Amino acid sequence: MLENEFDSDLQDDLGARFQILVCIDGSDESYSGLRYAVRMGSDNSADLTLLYVRPVDQGLRSGGLQMRVARENMLKWGVQLPGTKALKKGRDMLVEMGFMADDWKEQVVHTDVSGDPLGDNTTVYRNDEGASISLKLLVSPRVDRGILDECEVGSYDITIISMSETAEAKEHAGYISPATTFTVATQHRGTVLVARELEEDHGHFMCVDFTDKAVQAAVKDAQIAARCHCPVHLYSVASSEEERETAMDVVAGAKAAIEAEGLSIAGESIGLGDPVECIVGTGRKYSLIVLADTSIKGLRRFFTTSVAYEVLQKAANSVMIVR
Amino acid sequence: MLADNAIKKFINLRTLGHFIDDRRWLFVAFIIGAALYIAPTPEGLSREGQTVLVISVVAVILFVTEPIPLPSVAFMIVIAQITLMGLESSEVARSLMSDSVLFIMGSLMLAVAIVKQKLDKRIAYLIVRATGTGIYAICVGISFVCGVLASIIGEHTVAAMMLPVAVTLVTLTSNNPKEVKGLAAVLLFSISYGCAIGGIGTPSGGARNAIMIGYWKDFFYDPTNPETRQFLVDYVTWIKYAYPIFLAQLPLVTFILFAAFKPERKTLRRAVAKLRKQIELQGPMKGSDWASVAIFMATLVGWVTMSESVGLGTIALMGAVFFLAVGLVPWNDMNSGVNWGVVWLYAATISLGVEMKASGAAEWIATSFLGLLGPMNMDHGLPLLAAYTGLTTVVTNTMSAGAAVAVLGPIALRTAEIANENPLHLGFITAISSSFAYFTAAAHPAFTIVYASGYLKASDFFKVGWRMAIMSAAVLLLAAKFYWPLLGLS
Repeated sequence: MLENEFDSDLQDDLGARFQILVCIDGSDESYSGLRYAVRMGSDNSADLTLLYVRPVDQGLRSGGLQMRVARENMLKWGVQLPGTKALKKGRDMLVEMGFMADDWKEQVVHTDVSGDPLGDNTTVYRNDEGASISLKLLVSPRVDRGILDECEVGSYDITIISMSETAEAKEHAGYISPATTFTVATQHRGTVLVARELEEDHGHFMCVDFTDKAVQAAVKDAQIAARCHCPVHLYSVASSEEERETAMDVVAGAKAAIEAEGLSIAGESIGLGDPVECIVGTGRKYSLIVLADTSIKGLRRFFTTSVAYEVLQKAANSVMIVR
Repeated sequence: MLADNAIKKFINLRTLGHFIDDRRWLFVAFIIGAALYIAPTPEGLSREGQTVLVISVVAVILFVTEPIPLPSVAFMIVIAQITLMGLESSEVARSLMSDSVLFIMGSLMLAVAIVKQKLDKRIAYLIVRATGTGIYAICVGISFVCGVLASIIGEHTVAAMMLPVAVTLVTLTSNNPKEVKGLAAVLLFSISYGCAIGGIGTPSGGARNAIMIGYWKDFFYDPTNPETRQFLVDYVTWIKYAYPIFLAQLPLVTFILFAAFKPERKTLRRAVAKLRKQIELQGPMKGSDWASVAIFMATLVGWVTMSESVGLGTIALMGAVFFLAVGLVPWNDMNSGVNWGVVWLYAATISLGVEMKASGAAEWIATSFLGLLGPMNMDHGLPLLAAYTGLTTVVTNTMSAGAAVAVLGPIALRTAEIANENPLHLGFITAISSSFAYFTAAAHPAFTIVYASGYLKASDFFKVGWRMAIMSAAVLLLAAKFYWPLLGLS
């Protein structure tokens, strides 16, 4: 199939359906992210893309023999390569969870990549209702670059990426390191869910401040939470007793904006003290801590910090940055 | 519209950021190079020698970090030799091509041709038939076969061929990698360390060996002086010095692997039975299989009997041409399976190595190094050999073994001259210890290939590697002390 035809077919469906990108590296954490994606796309209302990025082989390391020769030999023996194995495990999970059926139509697309003869490989499964699941095995000079490029071209509504430093996670050939996750979370222009000890059914802990951006993020999070029938708890922090009133107004404003969209919240509360510590501590019992993106970009981030990125670094559970 | 422009500007800035981020090591290398180039010339070093060292430092940074494609590093070395050192372009072009480079080119083409012949299943069959189903015996068998083959045709060829055998044995034992972590480790490391220790056995075992043979000939052989004939090291002579070192390490590899990892199974009866079934489906050897074996054997015989007269490289090329002429492998496969950039890189590095000797840079480094070793009484005899073993082991763990020998070779040989040691002695030490790149997954071509299976952790390599490095260094120095003098090398 020609790549152009494939792209135009895919583009026809984009926009109408919720698009979720799940970065897979073979670790348990990345599959818990996939399970959460399935909840968000329940009733096949979302298209899933499972992405595995493999760095381009460095020529000198294999002594002048292209790694492709070794990989092709493995394939001839019927041995699955790590990326394929990790993606197929994801696909099998989707079948087990009933998100996908064995009779979905399959299309395979190969794209040559300069510097890596095995290139990019995508397998797309579609059903008659137009739902699609894509398994993408891409090569890129760096894993974070590959993920960001895919985010850029795919117009995804949400990107799910794992953050894990367990020994189990590090064993995987395609391990997404915390540095990679942090780069993607900070540089991507869309919403990113960083999956870390992701437990379902504990709801979203939506943190808001006085900015319009936070209120918009709260509405967007409520929409996402509604997809997976997750309760939303609104939260704001006052740095002193005098600011408590303002914080309550902020929560009330966000609640009103959410209800104006026909959605509801499960609860609301105000914290008192350091915003990062309050959010990380109180948010621990929820599935996700949700924050709006910071406006700090580029070099300024070296010198200043933001609540969102500090929470991302310090939280023990999953964090979603809404943009 | 304004928003579109802002997004475009943002994307452009990000692209620029990516560009700078990708090439940060290129900038670092150039800044270091420029600083060293304009720095005052150290005492005892010529301006030309300083320039060669600057080029070497920049090249080494670029080899290790790869911010730009490898062939461009090779061409940068060529350009720098012409522009910074004032050498004639034809002279530099001539220095790029030598028998060592022909050998690297030919052996890589042979590697692709041999991997494509599907002889791996037959080799696997021979191994399990000879070893039975005990895991220890299978690991010994794999190390032995990988080592013997790697000593002749290069480790990357053998690793690419044997990797599916080990992975198939693992997957036939259990589909859950977590249940067979130890088993996978001993099987896969048997391939990688078997290849790593085997590569030293013969001149055709690796580019590093051919490069050292080339240096001995270029630097010391004088056709008018019969005494310098000893520096024309042929295939059999190399085997006499190096093969026993490989064989001595062989039983220790499996011992070390089993000390580092505990396989979950003691026998692979079911997996071996399934593997045998798969292999038997291939049926008896076909005409093309026999033709492959015949060309391989003819190449080996050519290396043993004719390498002194026509060169290792010529015979490797003849083998590759035979594979093409008989139609056993299409040119496109060979062309796409070889990373030609690496061939250029070796060519440029060898050329730089020759200049390092000619410009006096090698002598300056050798003298400085001996000056450091002198106070510790390590500037002669076995301690000097131990120091070079350590130095080469460190360097080879940061870049490829071939590049390490290309860079360190001229320095080691000049050191031998200054310290009144036999250059053959330090040459063998440098070439053999360049295979002690055991610490990381990227240090050896065989490691990189085996690591791609996804069954090993990067940290596993160090877990075995430090034990292996101590063992290999000890065996090498014992051979230098007690065995080589028996061959007349004192």
